[in-house]
Amino acid sequence: MIFLTVIARLADGLPLAASIQEDEQSGRDLQHYQSQAKQLLRKLDAQSPDRCMLEAGNMNFCYFISQGVCCLCLCDASFPKKMAFGYLEDLHNEFCEQYGKRVPAVTRPYSFIEFDTYIQKTKKSYVDSRARRNLSSVSTELQDVQRIMVANIEEVLQRGEALSGNQFGVKPQPVDQLSDSS
Amino acid sequence: MSTAGFNSQNGTGTGQTYTNGPSQNPVALQQPPGVGYGMNHQPAYNPMQAKVLGPPSPALYASGPYQPVPPGPQLGSYPPPPAQPLLTRPQIGVLPSHTPPQSASPGPGPRQAQATPPAQATPPPPAVTSTSYYTGPPAWQYAAPWGPAPNHVNPAAAAPPHMSHGSAQLPGPGAPPTSIHGYPQPGTAPPPMNPPPPHTYQPNRPAYGPPPTAPPAGPPGATGTPPPPKVDAQCWRAASSARPPTEPDTQEGDVECPGDVAGNGPQAPNSYNHVDNRMAGAAQPGPPGRHLGHYPSLPPGYQNTLAPPPSSLHPALQAATLPYTQGPQPYQQPGGPGPDQLSPSMAAMSLQSGTPEALRVVNLLQERNLLPPAPVPAPTPCLTQDLQKLNCSPEVFRCTLTSIPQTQSLLNKAKLPLGLLLHPFKDLSQLPVVTSSTIVRCRSCRTYINPFVSFLDQRRWKCNLCYRVNDVPEEFMYNPVSRSYGEPHKRPEVQNATIEFIAPSEYMLRPPQPAVYLFVLDVSHNAVETGYLSVFCQSLLDNIKALPGDSRTKVGFITFDSTIHFYNLQEGLSQPQMLIVSDIEDIFLPTPDSLLVNLNECKELVQDLLKSLPNLFEKTMETQSALGSALQAAFKLLSPTGGRMSVFQTQLPNLGVGALQSREDPNQRASAKDVQHLSPATDFYKKLALDCSGQQVAVDLFLLSAQYCDLASLGCISRFSAGSVYYYPSYHHQHNPAQVERFQRDLKRYLTRKIGFEAVMRIRCTKGLSIHTFHGNFFVRSTDLLSLPNVNPDAGFAVQMSIEENLDDMQVVSFQAALLYTSSKGERRIRVHTMCLPVVSSLSDVFAGADVQAVTGLLACMAVDRSVTSSLSDARDAMTNAAIDSLSSYRQSALTIQQPGLLAPACLRLFPLYILALLKQKAFRTGTSTRLDERVFAMYQLKYQPLAFAMLIIHPALYRLDDLSDEGALNINERTIPQPRVLQLSVEKLSREGAFLMDAGLVMYLWIGRNCHQNFLSQVLGVSSYAAVPEKLCLLPELDTAESQRTRALVSWLRDQRPFFPSLHIIRDESQLKPHFMQNMIEDRTESALSYYEFLLHLQQQISK
Repeated sequence: MIFLTVIARLADGLPLAASIQEDEQSGRDLQHYQSQAKQLLRKLDAQSPDRCMLEAGNMNFCYFISQGVCCLCLCDASFPKKMAFGYLEDLHNEFCEQYGKRVPAVTRPYSFIEFDTYIQKTKKSYVDSRARRNLSSVSTELQDVQRIMVANIEEVLQRGEALSGNQFGVKPQPVDQLSDSS
Repeated sequence: MSTAGFNSQNGTGTGQTYTNGPSQNPVALQQPPGVGYGMNHQPAYNPMQAKVLGPPSPALYASGPYQPVPPGPQLGSYPPPPAQPLLTRPQIGVLPSHTPPQSASPGPGPRQAQATPPAQATPPPPAVTSTSYYTGPPAWQYAAPWGPAPNHVNPAAAAPPHMSHGSAQLPGPGAPPTSIHGYPQPGTAPPPMNPPPPHTYQPNRPAYGPPPTAPPAGPPGATGTPPPPKVDAQCWRAASSARPPTEPDTQEGDVECPGDVAGNGPQAPNSYNHVDNRMAGAAQPGPPGRHLGHYPSLPPGYQNTLAPPPSSLHPALQAATLPYTQGPQPYQQPGGPGPDQLSPSMAAMSLQSGTPEALRVVNLLQERNLLPPAPVPAPTPCLTQDLQKLNCSPEVFRCTLTSIPQTQSLLNKAKLPLGLLLHPFKDLSQLPVVTSSTIVRCRSCRTYINPFVSFLDQRRWKCNLCYRVNDVPEEFMYNPVSRSYGEPHKRPEVQNATIEFIAPSEYMLRPPQPAVYLFVLDVSHNAVETGYLSVFCQSLLDNIKALPGDSRTKVGFITFDSTIHFYNLQEGLSQPQMLIVSDIEDIFLPTPDSLLVNLNECKELVQDLLKSLPNLFEKTMETQSALGSALQAAFKLLSPTGGRMSVFQTQLPNLGVGALQSREDPNQRASAKDVQHLSPATDFYKKLALDCSGQQVAVDLFLLSAQYCDLASLGCISRFSAGSVYYYPSYHHQHNPAQVERFQRDLKRYLTRKIGFEAVMRIRCTKGLSIHTFHGNFFVRSTDLLSLPNVNPDAGFAVQMSIEENLDDMQVVSFQAALLYTSSKGERRIRVHTMCLPVVSSLSDVFAGADVQAVTGLLACMAVDRSVTSSLSDARDAMTNAAIDSLSSYRQSALTIQQPGLLAPACLRLFPLYILALLKQKAFRTGTSTRLDERVFAMYQLKYQPLAFAMLIIHPALYRLDDLSDEGALNINERTIPQPRVLQLSVEKLSREGAFLMDAGLVMYLWIGRNCHQNFLSQVLGVSSYAAVPEKLCLLPELDTAESQRTRALVSWLRDQRPFFPSLHIIRDESQLKPHFMQNMIEDRTESALSYYEFLLHLQQQISK
């Protein structure tokens, strides 16, 4: 399950678009995670690893950075890493296509909030296991998934400096460990 | 860098905006989620001790001594006062001796001299904390017998003023009495944080008395400005004051308070200013009379640049401010033109001893024609021209006293209520919008920088609410309007009393929500009978493209009778799918998604549904109504996002949760002296409303019913969720075409008007003043923060205030309302209004500044609360007492020469008339058959409508239409709109030969006299004779005659000025509606109520007791 998705400008962490899980049943209080996401986005910069997973209790933050745009999502710890990054890349491609050129100029937070509609649709196709079969692309595009770094969100946020590769306790994990459990 | 764009409407337009560039790592802000509602419930406001011994209750009127007015033809004529000494004084014009003694003595001199560098003088007065907590004065505390108040005895208040500052510690910190909603609140336990304060009378302050001849106040510096922040000891905002003011991030639940504060620059010299000002004829040193120094604290180096900036504004800015100015007040050179050339308020302050117009003594018993020919304008506060030019428009922000009394005891003496009336989200034609990564706010009290702050130098500004000195942030040094550097005082924020900011992400607890609209429709047999469904569906079809929103906008529909019906509108379905849930006891959503769908993507399905809905239930025989369960279902559907719920109900809900019983006995409508059942029968609707409020859901209620629906209970769903209530009594698609048209027009406005989501509004005021009771539809989240899940441009609010600390050293005080909301396009915005008013020390000055309409509007709100918490008769007495008390205080304390008659200052001359109008208003009248729902609706309207419309509802306008001419007509868009004189509401003013239009706000009556001119009948109504006027006519025919055009132009112009649609009824003497028309003849006597003249005599008798 994907609970929270934020797309932000890497340079200053300005949120550009977002989608929150509107599932009433989940009833989770996402406020804490939202503020962690905000802080994290402020910490990321050009030196940060472009793909990373951060553990936050029984949830994981995953982010993907490219072309000065960072896509971040919060998902269940059990959600397949491969899916998560596939989802993020998918969003990233579409987002940059639609808004990429305007990203450096905007000042208002959530300037592209209308992208929410696309996020929700895409999310549905990744979360719904039936729809997922159609996503053949995922497996091929992400061979590098093993090399994705994993760290703990609290530790990362507590460090004063910006996030960079060296600071990570880099411990690549085998994908199978996180494999499809749904 | 930052900027100001001027958008046409709320900034939803595309006006150009400058920006401050990407924000650089703004400080993170974590705010606790949610609204924490339920936090702050105060059990209604203190029902003022009923003045049992006081003035005669209405019952006495009937048997009173002055009854001799024979009913019938003499209606409205003034009989000679029975036992009244003949008042021979012909004209009570300007009596120099009436000059307020006190006002003259302190004079402007000393006060002006007090302008001091306040930064130095900060004697931290001890026990500030203690005095600062608001201690819940009784509701109409201003009526507490301070001065002589012979007409009522109030033991509680009779205690002499013995308490001193220190003793005011009664309620503990954070125990502000918000005594918000007047209704008793059964289900909600008062939160531990804010226990209701004891309802004692406000500990009295040492009576300062009419601040006497202001002692020349030693050296300027010694007068000391009030101590700086001192952590806002008085801060009712316990949460925020608890944390160090310097901490940038507010952890406050209040989204409206993010970090990043900044300061401001100085009043930089600017040659243009000098030039402009000279040209404007403004004497450099400031006007004579009281100069309320704007920048009293400028260090010497800056003194000579005191010249006010405004005149050299950027043209765009100027345009923006212009509509707000009241027309320049003439500046007077000392010894210049006489007082007659001064505007009233300026004159009041002039050194000369002429009596200002506002204080001209009027003997109400003698002067009959008190109504001005045109609508009563708002008084202009007595400020310097420069300040007034910048001041907030009275349409947005109005105060009952445009001159604020210096002390609570002075306020108590005036016996007038102190409060604000707001219309914060009003549609504006010009609104400066600023995009800037730093919104400059006071570090201590979080006030937004505004035109009334002072700049100490280039780098520091002083807050006008708490007096803290703040730094001007670097970014603020650049002025995007002039594109120049080093002129922080010229920034749009400092040049506009009404401004809107695009909020940075610190002001968001979550990504801005999309516009979400859910419609909940009654489809029981009764509802189908009324035929409203087809009107609603057609209206929505017609306006679906105009619903405010963007590509994220969502809509959904629920219908209900004894079961709840959902509609699956998922993309790809060939037609809408209806899902019926009959288990209304434990309501659930039949499918997790597709009940609220993206409007853009599913528009066709939505349109299909709207086309088929009216027929779907055509044959239904289901008579029951499970409204409560439908609301619960709707709440479940909306709670993940928040949004707007529009509920259409046509009968008393009688099934499942929230079921109600009829409580109205039609036989008691007229006879009972006290009206029962004004309070809700169940707390179900209120509780649900609070749940809604917590999830950013507002509920708007459309009640279309011929029978009793218990609006007093149902209405709570909208009141506490910041929704609006619409009521169409006796709605029927065939029998009541006027209501149908009204419903259609109202719906169009409702569907297409602007809307703000997940909003909060905070009202701040200068230290020393404190806000206590709020009126309107909202939930009070913390003492000064209103939770508004939706905000609409047609909602008005009112607040009551008291003076907690003497405002001794202040020349002006300010009020700021900040409304944080998400636009329908997903932008987070903050609209800020700031108003500045002078402080006065003499009773006469307080009276001179009274805004009689605002006073009346606020009293009406207070009386509604009183009716519910105490009783209707109590509320009526209290209103009458308000008039008695204030006039009696005026007579005894402000007048120097006593003379016979009922005397009032000119500015309050309409007060008794308005009070009488209130007593005869549907909400408060007795003795006339009034349906309970209509009464309750009238009460809602008084609290909800912005003042301008509330005043029409209270005191309708009467015009003669058969002799309309173009003389003095307005010319708008090449249409000529005649401006007939406003007539007194008395049958005396009618004539059988004429035709008269009565505009009562929500309804208009065009009364045709029996011998009406043939010309009018044929040219305007298109009929040959009086007898041919149809019985139920509610439309003016479009005839191609000058008379018809004039009449229609006037009617449609009147309608265009308000956001709701008043229906027009054309009536003759025989019409059924004639009694409604006649009931509004306020000045006339009716079987159960006094005439205006009798009422005046009654007041006079009470006053001279």
